[in-house]
Amino acid sequence: MQSKPKLRFWGSEAASGLLMISPTAIYAILLLAAPLAMIVAYSFMTDGYLQIIPRFQLCNYVGECHSYKDVNGVLTEAQTYKGVWSDPLALTLMWRSLLVSMLVTAVTVLLAFPVAYYVSFYVSPSKKSLWLFLITIPFWTSYLIRVFLWKVILGTGGPINYGLLELGLIQEPITWLLYNLNSVVITLAHAYAPFAILPIFVSLEKIDRSFLEAGRDLGESPFMTFWRVTLPLAMPGVISSVLIVFIPTIGDYVTPSLVGGPEGKMVANLVELNYKKLDNYPLGSALAVSSMALVMAVSLLFLFMNRRFLKGNKR
Amino acid sequence: MTSEKSATPGQTMIEFKDVHKYYGDYHALRGITATIKAGEFFSLLGPSGCGKTTLLRTIAGFEGISSGVVMIDGKDMAHVPANVRPTNMVFQSYAIFPHLTVAQNVGFGLRKDPRSKAEKDAAVAEALEMVGLKGYGARAAHALSGGQRQRVALARALILKPKVLLLDEPLSALDKKMREQMQMELIKLQRQVGITFILVTHDQEEALVMSDRIAVMFEGEIAQLADPETLYRRPNSRKVADFIGTMNFLPAEILSEMDGKVEVEAKGFGRLTLDAEQVSSAPGGAGASIGFRPETLTILFDGQTATDRESRAEVVEVVYYGDMTYYDIRLEGTTEPMRLSMRNVFGRPVLDIGTQTRVAWSPGALVLFR
Repeated sequence: MQSKPKLRFWGSEAASGLLMISPTAIYAILLLAAPLAMIVAYSFMTDGYLQIIPRFQLCNYVGECHSYKDVNGVLTEAQTYKGVWSDPLALTLMWRSLLVSMLVTAVTVLLAFPVAYYVSFYVSPSKKSLWLFLITIPFWTSYLIRVFLWKVILGTGGPINYGLLELGLIQEPITWLLYNLNSVVITLAHAYAPFAILPIFVSLEKIDRSFLEAGRDLGESPFMTFWRVTLPLAMPGVISSVLIVFIPTIGDYVTPSLVGGPEGKMVANLVELNYKKLDNYPLGSALAVSSMALVMAVSLLFLFMNRRFLKGNKR
Repeated sequence: MTSEKSATPGQTMIEFKDVHKYYGDYHALRGITATIKAGEFFSLLGPSGCGKTTLLRTIAGFEGISSGVVMIDGKDMAHVPANVRPTNMVFQSYAIFPHLTVAQNVGFGLRKDPRSKAEKDAAVAEALEMVGLKGYGARAAHALSGGQRQRVALARALILKPKVLLLDEPLSALDKKMREQMQMELIKLQRQVGITFILVTHDQEEALVMSDRIAVMFEGEIAQLADPETLYRRPNSRKVADFIGTMNFLPAEILSEMDGKVEVEAKGFGRLTLDAEQVSSAPGGAGASIGFRPETLTILFDGQTATDRESRAEVVEVVYYGDMTYYDIRLEGTTEPMRLSMRNVFGRPVLDIGTQTRVAWSPGALVLFR
């Protein structure tokens, strides 16, 4: 090791640490922070025809905005549109997205918990990894194909309707399964199930089984022991599951556009519409930023409500 | 030792009748039959895997039994789940709930208690004071040291006033000093509350110090059940003798048996007659041998004479411990060295290796294994 004073920084531990994280850091800055900053910047700019005019305005969020057109070198008002929080359509879609993702989260986590519980408590230790492996099987096919399959399953000629017709339980195919919020919730809940199962499983695995025996020993029934001991100790996993499912589902646009029908459209579909068909980047960005703020607010509120479960549970 | 504390003599608290437990093919408990008296400090002692913890867990109700009967206070526990048994447990890991405060942990079992909240809080405070943790109620459970956790576990169990308190190796996680202190505190606590304590331990010293009676277990069976003194002085097999303290074994030959008295010949000791109570009742092992504890042999220094019997010996190893000196000596006519301990009282010299000396002993302190 040379000890020239010049090289002091480059030989230090701090430098090697920085060097080690630099690929990740560069990746994160270039591909996450920079695009995000751009979208936030766009959302405050003015929409022009096939261009973005760098003129600051707030009307993409609140109030009325104008789109401009370049007419012989002069910017001319072309169209008028409403900002996100003044536009009934955008608000409807945002609230619907929020509702859908909350429903999906509730359904997914409620269904994931028993699965995780079963694998953690009833599957023999040697078979646990096999079970976890089996849980990931749905991921072996593309997300798109899985959504299409749900389209088939829930459709009027699909196995559900066919089965019910054959059993004579219904006289004609039921149509409320597909092309509405139901199908969106079902499809998303299925898609995110493994993401919800794993964190809950991990937190259940971490629970020392003697805690459960202590609960029984101190006079509680199995159910009350679950309620007073197992569930509170599994809450960190449940909270992670909720966030892991809730955050991405609010912005999902493949599922609503394929199985959602007109009444199942979500905010991401509107973002897509603005970016692609309407060529209104500032409004699309404002929508994206607004829904992001919504997700952040709801997530923080949720974390705050559950803060007591997240305090240092170290043993 | 036993006599002064058996306040309700003859009253049985726990009864095992031919208890067997299988884990698949593994026979963990092999016909346990024993009774534990009310108010007794009882220990289950044995090496790991001997079934002592399993036996404790059958009392708590965490472990079902394959056959036999477990009775607590005269009631068959066959279909009684853990949460309604009149027992409470101090777990080896203490199992202090990490999501609750100390007071919430201690009061955990009081949910169904009909008393008012203020009365329950007072009971929790009282229980904490009893274990020396006054004012710790608001602390988070994870902010406690090992010894404090154990006290919380004790308070949490004792607050429910169980008929039996089960302790599963409660001191094994503590350092030596703390362990000795807690031993004394547990003994005091047991006298104070008068509850039957059942302790599982692999530490023979701990069992001797704390218990009124001890069941020594090997491979799923009780090898000997006796008070500490009997266990130490009259172990009923070489195995028990080996497990508890140090015991020397000297090959012996049985010459005759008459009227309960046994005449034996042992190299180094010569010919001697032993009483029936000195003969171990559990036969087995290769040949007969005489057993004796290191402190039952005394080195005779110049001018001293034996009050009973004496033999010639050579010092082959000396280990100086400060208060004690441990010698390995070879008795005349034998090959195996024997362990001998001498208290280093003032003025007594420590012998060198190779010294020829005489040792005094008494036939009454010997045990015959056959």
